[in-house]
Amino acid sequence: MTNPTNANKTRHYEGNPQKNSPALGATLAYLGINGLLALLHGSQGCSSFIRLQLSRHYKEPIPLNSTALLEDSVIFGGWEHLKKGIEVAADKYKPQIIGVMSTGLTETYGDDMVSALSSLRSERPDLKELPIVLSSTPDYMGSMQEGYQRTVEALLTTLAGPSSKTLEPSGSKFNSTFNDVSVPSIALLPGCHLTPGDVDELKEIVMEFGFSPITIPDLSISLDGHAELEAAPVVQGGTLLEDFQRLSKCKACLSFGLSMETSGEILKRTHEIPHHNFPSITGLAASDEFVLTLAKLSSKPIPEKLLRQRSRLLDTLADYHDQLGSLKTAIALEMDLLYSLASCLVEVGAEISVALAASRAGIHKLSLPIPIEVGDLETLEERGGRSRLIIANSNGRQAAGVLKLPHLRAGLPVFDWVGYPQKCWIGYSGTQQFLFDTLNSLS
Amino acid sequence: MFTNLTKLDLKDKKCMSDAGSPKLCMKALPGEGAERSCAYDGARVVLMPITDAAHLVHGPIACAGNSWDNRGARSSGSQLFRRGLTTDIMENDVIYGGETKLKDSILEIAANHDPKAIFVYATCVSSLIGDDVEKICQEAETELTIPVIAVNCPGFLGDKNIGNRIAGEVLYDRVIGTGSGPSEKIPLSINLIGEYNIAGDLWGVLPDLKNLGIKLQTAITGDAKFEDLRSAHRASLNVLICSKSLTNLVRKMEIRYGIPFMEGSFYGIHDTSETLIKIAKALGDPDLLERTLVYVGKKEEETRKVIAGYKALLENKQAVLFTGGVKTWSMVSTLAELGINILAGGTQNSTPEDFQRMKELMDPSAQIIEDTSSAGFLKIIAEKKPDLIVAGGKTKYLAHKTRTPFLDINHGRKLPYAGYEGMITFAETLTRTVLSPVWGHLRRKFPPKEGEQVD
Ligand code: SF4
Repeated sequence: MTNPTNANKTRHYEGNPQKNSPALGATLAYLGINGLLALLHGSQGCSSFIRLQLSRHYKEPIPLNSTALLEDSVIFGGWEHLKKGIEVAADKYKPQIIGVMSTGLTETYGDDMVSALSSLRSERPDLKELPIVLSSTPDYMGSMQEGYQRTVEALLTTLAGPSSKTLEPSGSKFNSTFNDVSVPSIALLPGCHLTPGDVDELKEIVMEFGFSPITIPDLSISLDGHAELEAAPVVQGGTLLEDFQRLSKCKACLSFGLSMETSGEILKRTHEIPHHNFPSITGLAASDEFVLTLAKLSSKPIPEKLLRQRSRLLDTLADYHDQLGSLKTAIALEMDLLYSLASCLVEVGAEISVALAASRAGIHKLSLPIPIEVGDLETLEERGGRSRLIIANSNGRQAAGVLKLPHLRAGLPVFDWVGYPQKCWIGYSGTQQFLFDTLNSLS
Repeated sequence: MFTNLTKLDLKDKKCMSDAGSPKLCMKALPGEGAERSCAYDGARVVLMPITDAAHLVHGPIACAGNSWDNRGARSSGSQLFRRGLTTDIMENDVIYGGETKLKDSILEIAANHDPKAIFVYATCVSSLIGDDVEKICQEAETELTIPVIAVNCPGFLGDKNIGNRIAGEVLYDRVIGTGSGPSEKIPLSINLIGEYNIAGDLWGVLPDLKNLGIKLQTAITGDAKFEDLRSAHRASLNVLICSKSLTNLVRKMEIRYGIPFMEGSFYGIHDTSETLIKIAKALGDPDLLERTLVYVGKKEEETRKVIAGYKALLENKQAVLFTGGVKTWSMVSTLAELGINILAGGTQNSTPEDFQRMKELMDPSAQIIEDTSSAGFLKIIAEKKPDLIVAGGKTKYLAHKTRTPFLDINHGRKLPYAGYEGMITFAETLTRTVLSPVWGHLRRKFPPKEGEQVD
């Protein structure tokens, strides 16, 4: 591969990958939609591995079905299996919506999901009304971030359009849908670099300005790890289906992470609402920009609470400026999270020694003082030596062990530190927490 | 390059759908939600614990990326096996083929990591685009001084069991008996087959073997070094642990090397003793047998004394047993030892034989779980309202939502449960789980109804 941005020029294999499969990213996006049944079009191994990986990160059951392809369908195409899969899932589990994602296997032999779906709908007229989203996520293109991004785009294109049919409110007690028309709504599109804890905070901040947020997908009320939920094989909590139809009434759309920019543009086009993309909302300047945008959109002053948080953050910066300034960090993460955390560290005077992204997406659009390269965790091990800290997902533990360096867990999977999905590293107080966690991981 | 299944002796077996066992080898229905994983997963479970070998997955990120270093197999030496290595097939490789990249990767890994052997796993996409993994491995081998072994296990061939068997074939064809050392039998030596040293299980059994004067030639493949596996044919006896899926391997070893085999399990007091006695008998040394009888008697007494306190606390608790693995029947007797009743039992990846065995061991009133999907599992829990759930890690977080005490017995666990020591650990952990105060908090209604006391 002659990729100029690839860090391991001398290697053809991937050693200790930091990537996750795009289909895993797709699953994650689907897991934020209430009443959805996720169906992976592929063999059962892929879905098993995704369930395990997400499960050990979130400590939650992961509802994910597959079309269970076997050798015969590989030879003759999986078209019929896909139809059958949707049918069985719809009949057995009665989901409100089905989300399908493809895999390397089905994309390699070119299964046409769209035509499979329309053929099924003509055979089963009773399924015509069931919303079905198709997301194309071949394993050999990109990482988790790309799969998540494509799936949010597919969700919006399929469900956010002007619709003739009005959906009955399903009135789940877990969703904070505001039906009060006097409260202006705002659409939030969080990228997969944000934890359920981050998304929670995001909504809080927006509500401080008097907005009612519609969050797509909303992991903060599906994968937040609460015990109040009865278990079921479909997603419980998350964005309500009828929320998609309220999107047209939104005052604006805010998207988070560069990977969510296209999704925001889709909403902008469809509903003619303004769109703002925030590549990061971790760090002082990034939080300032976010808060100022909200103030402008709401024509309200910045709430006292947020100003207070900002002033606390400033105090922290002063108190720890020397420790932060002497930090030298090697980071390997998916692009949006890499950029968010690294730019925050740079902003407070820390040095980034190595920046390795899981895939190429956004690599030419976002910049740090040093070039961002695509790389695996074996590269981190080879190049992280002169740093004081490693920031990577839990799989970075082998590199950290070899280099004898402290290792701040971030990204996915994080399975050997507790509470990561509930962590909040965005906004003023989240940024403060991130800096605390960073400094504490050194001791 | 499609695998010739008839050659692998996989498709000729008829399903045992009679005698009340669910149709275990029935194909999973699309969309149904069964969780049987894939052949590649089955092969890696068997081969990846080989500690000083490199394991290269020829496929896109889906196969290795989501799964490397995620099993609890432990090593006393090399940690190379834990490294995630993949060719990470990209779009270009899909179009132009991935053989060159594979060859380069093999050579680079040999240079960078100094493995004793390299196993190369073919997966769905690499098979579909027609990469000849076998040929590339042969080519690479001529340029290297170590074996480069193709494992042809694309996931679409079937479930984990099929992958286990493929791995067994690979060990038989390419590893066992290939060393340059002597090949005469070592007296009183055994191989433990299907023991992967999860959470250090093997280390719980080794002291007993040592005390009895039995030599472990190698485990297949827990904490195994490649060289030891090569001389696995020098063992006097093969002991198949808990699983039928490597039966093909021991059968073939019996024919070629004259090594008899037996089945055994080191889960629970009863099974541990029985297995040790069976080993002693099979090794045919009267002295050893006598020693073993005395030894297990003493060990049983010691162990029972220690677990008596736990048993008193667990007696008559009602359990649902649900494993994704193959230890189900062994777990039935382990739970019985602690006085626990089994209300319902189910298993996903066991062979029909394993399954029948479990059924025989359970109380006739115990229900067999037929629907092994999450939905089926939840239904059983709702119906049976057990005091505890003993299951594989996959079910863990689902079980927690039912607010029922849960114990993980599969690869996700941190503690060894094998042997007499393991039984004590198991009883201790189970008691801690069942008696944990958290379940009470989970079940208490809040806020209390008017007039009720908050306790
Ligand atoms: S089913 Fe195929 S593509 Fe999926 S993990 Fe298994 S081998 Fe890889």
